[in-house]
Amino acid sequence: MALTAAATVSLVKEKFPQAVLETVEFRDEQTIVLQPEFLTGVCAYLQKNLRYNFLSTITAVDWPERVPRFDVVYQLLSLPNRCELRLKVRVGEKGEEHPSVPSVCAIWPGANWYEREVYDLFGITFAGHPDLRRILMPPDWTTHPLRKDYPLTGFDLPEPHWGGQVPYTLDPGVGDQTLRTPDGRELNEGRSSLNPNQEPGTPRRE
Amino acid sequence: MQKQEIATQYTLEESQPLEDGQHMDTMTINMGPQHPSTHGVLRLILTINGETVLKAVPDIGFLHTGIEKTAEAKSYHQALVLTDRMDYLAPLNNNLGYSLAVEKLLGIEDEISEKIKYVRVALAELQRIASHLVWLGTHALDLGAMSVFLYCFREREMILDIFEEISGVRMMTSYICPGGLQADLTPDFEKKVRAFTKIFPARLREYHDLLTNNQLWIERTKGVGVLSAEDAIAYGVSGPTLRGSNVVWDIRKAFPYSGYEKFDFDIPVGSNGDVYDRYLVRMLEMQESLKIVNQAMDGMPAGPYRVANPKVAPPPKWQITGSMEALIHHFKLFTEGYRPPKGEVFVRTEAPKGELGFYIVSDGSAKPYRMHVRAPSFANLEALPLMVEGGLLSDVVAAIGSIDIVLGEVDR
Repeated sequence: MALTAAATVSLVKEKFPQAVLETVEFRDEQTIVLQPEFLTGVCAYLQKNLRYNFLSTITAVDWPERVPRFDVVYQLLSLPNRCELRLKVRVGEKGEEHPSVPSVCAIWPGANWYEREVYDLFGITFAGHPDLRRILMPPDWTTHPLRKDYPLTGFDLPEPHWGGQVPYTLDPGVGDQTLRTPDGRELNEGRSSLNPNQEPGTPRRE
Repeated sequence: MQKQEIATQYTLEESQPLEDGQHMDTMTINMGPQHPSTHGVLRLILTINGETVLKAVPDIGFLHTGIEKTAEAKSYHQALVLTDRMDYLAPLNNNLGYSLAVEKLLGIEDEISEKIKYVRVALAELQRIASHLVWLGTHALDLGAMSVFLYCFREREMILDIFEEISGVRMMTSYICPGGLQADLTPDFEKKVRAFTKIFPARLREYHDLLTNNQLWIERTKGVGVLSAEDAIAYGVSGPTLRGSNVVWDIRKAFPYSGYEKFDFDIPVGSNGDVYDRYLVRMLEMQESLKIVNQAMDGMPAGPYRVANPKVAPPPKWQITGSMEALIHHFKLFTEGYRPPKGEVFVRTEAPKGELGFYIVSDGSAKPYRMHVRAPSFANLEALPLMVEGGLLSDVVAAIGSIDIVLGEVDR
């Protein structure tokens, strides 16, 4: 009898009653929301005992108005049992710049690059990661682009690749970027406030 | 925002002491980002001793275009166009994965007609053949077999002509869209596909004649870049690269989508997990894809090419001129788009490179709150150091070719 995702959810609930915050079923997909401190324990149990041997991806979702601010999402797959499961932890207290999640690299070695990607694009650090550095953005980048308070069009800084040192000592801030709301969002704020006559790559003039 | 220390990137020792007190002279060299056999802009930092690779560190991100960020500012239908640009050798497979995810989010999977499913399967498999042809041509070119490249592109051109026939575009078609297809099939579609499926078996034999038993090819690929099944699974490797390591796993069989359960095909697997096995798996996969295309063309039912749900797909032109309701739906769709309910889905499909997953979070608005793409090449590339460390420098080229990466998808 092959294990199903729904059976997994009840097994995890039974085995780790204090770890499970919530379970969600949407469109036949099972999600378990966990306490961050129990993450590695539950993952090791899933990998060893329930044969969730394939980690499809790790990603994050930013909810800037919520506390805790970030969802870190793990998509698991069991090749022998042909079932899939989603794990989620919520981190990021108010004003916390770099929330931390325990790393699962020791359980699935393939998590290495995914955790680096989440660190790079969201600024979430992974405790116990062997080599946590940026992966997609340049190594001297200072901000995390997939956060919702990062403007779609970037900051009003001189373009680094048009010859010229980027003044990284400046605090770019979030400028006049409007936060996204479900009903209507204003985009391209940063771009429209640029002076159209300004030469690209030069400091901003008013 | 605090200023961060500029990360020190790589710590590689210049010289490593051996047990007997001697020193081994190692050299650190860059392979890429401008190197013809890195298939785009991949940079490998190789530590070598003579011809032996001691350490390989892939450096990616040169093609990072922020597709996931851009999608958050587009409506669901507009974001479809971005998916073509990720794996630019297989845009229709990306469209299919994205469309299935959005349809699942909307809850309209049951409304997708049989005809739509059959057309999608036929096109996805044609695209798989086209993608594998580019892989075969460039892989052989990297290893010194020039003529294969020319033959492969000749056949790929026929497939691109079929796409042009139905969509008007050769590569970035966006033909498969949430709610069905962009347009109906043209009368010449079947003729062109039949012409292709008729000549392709002979052409496939031609490639086999050129390479499969070629002594030079075997010596360059057999026993090179070995990846064990345990490592492949642990690193999340998928697709033909996983199957080359003797793991029978195909999403089309394990979680059938878009009606794949109705088609009869086999999953070719390798035995040793070396470059030659991955080569053979893809060659046999082209044959299986051809089988599926033939079955899809034979069993293609008649029917509408879009769902009849006016909240998702625009009503036909003749209705717009006659009905106020239709006009309003048309206007709402093209000014605002559709609003899926709050929730999240993760849909995995079998793309030519491996497991392509779309994770879409909806907050109830007309734009995806978050779209994450599980790109198969990303995970496959992560396992590259396992294949090349300890091998020869020239085998790095063979290993990169054998995992079939597309950097547009790795960096997104």
